[in-house]
Amino acid sequence: MQLTVEEERMLDGRFGYPVQKAMEILVQLGHIYGAERMIKLSNVHMPGSSVVVAGEAGTNFVEHMAQLDGHFTGLTTLNPAAVDFSSWSELGYPEAAWQLQTRLTGAYCRMGALPCHTCVPYLIGNAPRIGEHVAWGESSAIAYVNSVLGARTNREGGPSALAAALAGRVPAYGYHLKENRYGQIRIDVNTDLAGVTDYGSLGYWAGGIAGSKVPVFTGIPVNVTQDELKMLSAALASSGAVALFHVVGVTPEAPDLQAAFGGRKPEQVLAFDSRQLQESWSQLNKHQGQEISLVAIGCPHASIREIGTVARFLSGKKISPRLELWITTALPIKALAVRCGYQQPIEDAGGRLVIDTCPILSPMADVAREKGYTALVTNSAKLAHYAPGQWGLPTYYGSLQACLNAALNGNFQQD
Amino acid sequence: MPTEFHGRRVVGGKARGLALVSPEPICFLGGVDVKAGKVTEVGHPLYGKSIAGKVLVFPTGKGSTGGSYLIYEAAANDVAPCAMINRSVEQVTAIGCIIAEIPIIDGLDVDPVVAIHDGDLVEVDADMGIVRVLEPERGGSR
Repeated sequence: MQLTVEEERMLDGRFGYPVQKAMEILVQLGHIYGAERMIKLSNVHMPGSSVVVAGEAGTNFVEHMAQLDGHFTGLTTLNPAAVDFSSWSELGYPEAAWQLQTRLTGAYCRMGALPCHTCVPYLIGNAPRIGEHVAWGESSAIAYVNSVLGARTNREGGPSALAAALAGRVPAYGYHLKENRYGQIRIDVNTDLAGVTDYGSLGYWAGGIAGSKVPVFTGIPVNVTQDELKMLSAALASSGAVALFHVVGVTPEAPDLQAAFGGRKPEQVLAFDSRQLQESWSQLNKHQGQEISLVAIGCPHASIREIGTVARFLSGKKISPRLELWITTALPIKALAVRCGYQQPIEDAGGRLVIDTCPILSPMADVAREKGYTALVTNSAKLAHYAPGQWGLPTYYGSLQACLNAALNGNFQQD
Repeated sequence: MPTEFHGRRVVGGKARGLALVSPEPICFLGGVDVKAGKVTEVGHPLYGKSIAGKVLVFPTGKGSTGGSYLIYEAAANDVAPCAMINRSVEQVTAIGCIIAEIPIIDGLDVDPVVAIHDGDLVEVDADMGIVRVLEPERGGSR
């Protein structure tokens, strides 16, 4: 691997221990994946921001780097934490999780990270430009930033993203190189997709087939919304390990099929019609009959438009007293929701806006035990995929409308 | 003369210890108790065995990237292996050994999980990419 004089000095320890360790990690990754050089960058989205992921070990290591004057060179945003800092106790999170999380967040912040704690950094100001090299973690955000924004990242884990933030470098391999960004599988969408949840169902089905390959979608309308693409990204990265997809006529590297595939032939061409939509939905909706305890909206974190939809629906209504309704989002989006007058009707109905965390990256098995939860309902393919394993609870999957109706009635019915 | 194998330095350093050999990959997140230094993955060939101070020989790592931090934590708790030898290193183990400063070698001229046996006294010179079997495990045949 060819290093610059400056990079050699970083590796020699001239810029301190944290930079040296970071370069060792990056050089090693470069060796493993056959990179020829490093790329400079100034934009990191940090996975391993929750203590559920980093654990005590990761927290100790991040603190160690902060104590040795580690410093992030560019914009560094934090992924969701394990608790909502403003109401962790009320929500049922263990005090130990809050304490450890406070240490981890504090250490990242001392090095210069923004404690925004969200999986949708692109909605709150971290929106890299097309072709920009970045180091992002969080599977749903990786798929979105690569595909919808056209920036370039590999699937970074906690330690590698930390190294990238400390050194301001990543090894040049994988999705940083244009030759690896062309489509491999073509999926023709032949059915109408009715809103965010259907895009989740599409992504869930396609991710299972694509694995870690690059799928290219045709037949998705040009007016597909940001929220729909957000859910598509999250679902593709749940059933599969998709880091990049293209939507012909929609995403920046796919003005047409030729550009999406770089002139190559697709390895596979598949159709997604109403039958596959139904199949995907059934796969995520295996359970029935249990009493619902929690309705979870906002995986990935809810946008201001999604919160507005919930607020308008709940206005003047009451949710069932036997259950809770969480809308998880980012701190800045909640601030906007308050100003828009959305928080009041949601709280009056018995729901709440939860910030900083999410049901996947928090110790929900503990919360479920503590609160005696029996089953949950969500409009997110990603959450419906992970919750049964992580919570050990039956999970129902349906449209936002069906989820909100379930919150009112106390039982779940498909619309 | 001790038997000598040659491979690739992943993380430099020198160490000497008894070999603990696993024919199966190891997952450090969830598969190893880093307070006690014991393998906890049910059904794993090393289940219940201590990795502390051993030269840990295994084909490759597996599982979540969080595993790197667990290797670091095991070292902080003084229960990490003194060195590792892989058939082919992957990113979780490599990063874990970098931050924990544990010497590790891969790509030997022999298959390490076959050529090295449980209980062999092994010297690892990762700087030079050399593994020496100083004393084969007593009663073991070579």
